[in-house]
Amino acid sequence: MPQTPPQSVPAELLVEALRSCGVTVAVTVPDTHQRTFLARLAADPGIRLLTCSTEDEACALAAGLWIGGEQPVLVIQHAGLYASVNTLRGVAIDGRVPTFYLIGLLSREPDRPPRASARSMVRYCEPLLDVFGIPHALIDGPDDVPEIPRLFRLSRERRGPTAALIGMPTC
Amino acid sequence: MIQPLDALRAIAQHRDDAIVVPTMTTVEPWHELSPSALNVSCIGFMGGASSLGLGLALARPERKVLVLDGDGSLCMQLGTLATIAGAAPPNLYHFVFKNGVYQVSGGQPIPAADRIDFALMARGAGYPTVYSFDDLEELRMRLPAVLAARGPVFIQLVTEPIPNPPEGGVINASFAAEAEAARAALLGPLGKV
Repeated sequence: MPQTPPQSVPAELLVEALRSCGVTVAVTVPDTHQRTFLARLAADPGIRLLTCSTEDEACALAAGLWIGGEQPVLVIQHAGLYASVNTLRGVAIDGRVPTFYLIGLLSREPDRPPRASARSMVRYCEPLLDVFGIPHALIDGPDDVPEIPRLFRLSRERRGPTAALIGMPTC
Repeated sequence: MIQPLDALRAIAQHRDDAIVVPTMTTVEPWHELSPSALNVSCIGFMGGASSLGLGLALARPERKVLVLDGDGSLCMQLGTLATIAGAAPPNLYHFVFKNGVYQVSGGQPIPAADRIDFALMARGAGYPTVYSFDDLEELRMRLPAVLAARGPVFIQLVTEPIPNPPEGGVINASFAAEAEAARAALLGPLGKV
């Protein structure tokens, strides 16, 4: 059991973190877990929100945005990560396109770390990122939000993918 | 039915300073016909050409973006039609070479090859302007008007398979290198970060 129970992160804090990175576009396939964050983004005049049909599209779309000079972020769910790993590999790893993900861990149980989840879609997320060598961090409350700009910058420095995992539903 | 190389030549004649996103069997002939730092080939993530092009079109609204998609590739991510229609970039021109086969992998027919109509799908998804050409002369004659229309424009080209497809399915181009070159060409030295 974690020492400190995970907490929800207010949507405004996440938006402020993206603003501090210079993010201009959020590319999403909507995620129940991050619905308040997505609603906040939709109302934000400074960050354009683009909704895609699939996470494969979102990854390739974000690459086109980056090549063209925008600073995109992807907002998806763990299931979408699983669905789009080939595009992630081709675009962000082999293609060396900086790609930063915010990934919602829908159905994550608050009484245990994601790797110990009884739910496979939660349990496999961090190991999958490890397999691909993708740096990641768990955002388990407001105190973890500084990991977002760190990982965003790291994606630019490494010229590849990084991911922040949203542990509890945003509020 | 149109010979694909003839279609590529026609498109190349009207390229001007557009960004072009070829994929699969159009990659190598396109690079020969229209070499440019603004060619960004979709290689290594089949089905992603139109989404890559959409991102470029949204980021660079001052330039036209031409996507040279394949029918098998589009089948892999058909939802892109709705995504593009929703984003509605006025500078995106989405060509689909409909030859009915997965040519790189050995010429297997795509699903419903004998009846599928991508133009109808694009219209249904919400593309405001849709064309379908199976005659080269008509394509040549109408291409200037097609590329003058407000996007997103969808253009189905009914073609033969391309002659001499890449041997062993290996396409001689690098997405990483082309992405880097295109970004530098579009943004200058400051775009390297």
